[in-house]
Amino acid sequence: MPRPSSAPPASFRHGARTSLPITLGYFPVGISFGIAASRAGLSVFEATFVSMAIYAGASQFLALTLLTGGAPVIVSALSVLAMNLRHVLYGPAIMEKAGPGAPIRYSWAWAGWLSDGGFGAAYVGLQRPGARFSERWMFGIGMGPYLAWCSGTAVGALVGTGPIEAWPAVDAALGFLMPALFLAMLLSVLSRVHLPAIAAGLLVSLAGTLTVSATFGIVMGMVAGALVGVAGWGQGRDTDRFDLDGGVH
Amino acid sequence: MNTDLLILVAIVGLGTWAMRALPLRLPFFSGRPGGAMSRFLAATGPAALAALTAASFLPLATPDVAVLGPTLVGSAAVVGGHFATRDMAAAALVGAVAYGITVWLIGV
Repeated sequence: MPRPSSAPPASFRHGARTSLPITLGYFPVGISFGIAASRAGLSVFEATFVSMAIYAGASQFLALTLLTGGAPVIVSALSVLAMNLRHVLYGPAIMEKAGPGAPIRYSWAWAGWLSDGGFGAAYVGLQRPGARFSERWMFGIGMGPYLAWCSGTAVGALVGTGPIEAWPAVDAALGFLMPALFLAMLLSVLSRVHLPAIAAGLLVSLAGTLTVSATFGIVMGMVAGALVGVAGWGQGRDTDRFDLDGGVH
Repeated sequence: MNTDLLILVAIVGLGTWAMRALPLRLPFFSGRPGGAMSRFLAATGPAALAALTAASFLPLATPDVAVLGPTLVGSAAVVGGHFATRDMAAAALVGAVAYGITVWLIGV
């Protein structure tokens, strides 16, 4: 159980180490956005500004599509914001994991960095035995992926696809890094107590994505899994975790 | 800078920040321990990771063996890497390397 006040605060450096995989994963995806923005006619400055101000991967691609497609600005903005609705639950879910009394004095600053990957890294970090929450730690969690995303965008807009085109296998491996990270984070929180919520999240997300859209699928998957938690399925087995041989410890 | 772009970025940037930061200040999300809201939020993390994983893998689930093959090998490598190391960075890296090698082999 995380201890927000009784132990020395988890450091900024520890947070940065925890989110390092996301930092490494965001850089190539940022490059992809920079390339797309450059092709849409944005300058390096404009592309980087978009990443710095919005910092939400998929919705930035949607913003580009809507903007270059000539959609009205307000309609485009509302569409993109709707895509980011899932972020509403990220902060409260982390604070629930951090435990009662966890500080939020500077949350106005670090919460802006709660992207999908940043949230996942923080949640997985708090899941570890002896994990401690602090706002410094949250700044460490958020800063690396944010800088990687913004600098990746700048590099992508500046350099384009040229250097990587000669190495298709490397390009493919970099493209697989984010799905691989989400799968690895999911495996890190896999336990008997969470299994019903995870199963509901997977199934409803797949159904929602296939029938409506990925955004809809993700939000509905999150809500369905959370409602399974409210129903209490899987409760009372909080210490059960899957082991290598299928047992629990 | 393009005015439409500036307005769009201002609205979406502020709105996204508000969606991430303001719920932390809302009493609505801080229920009593063990209560319905507490259980809802406790299950939100794993459910969100499951939903994000599903959404990120779905575009890779195609009948095209040049895409599906590396995806299966890469996913298996992530699972193997996780159980071998219990480290998400190592697991993801092993998966990405396995994916890239499979793409290279299929390409050959």
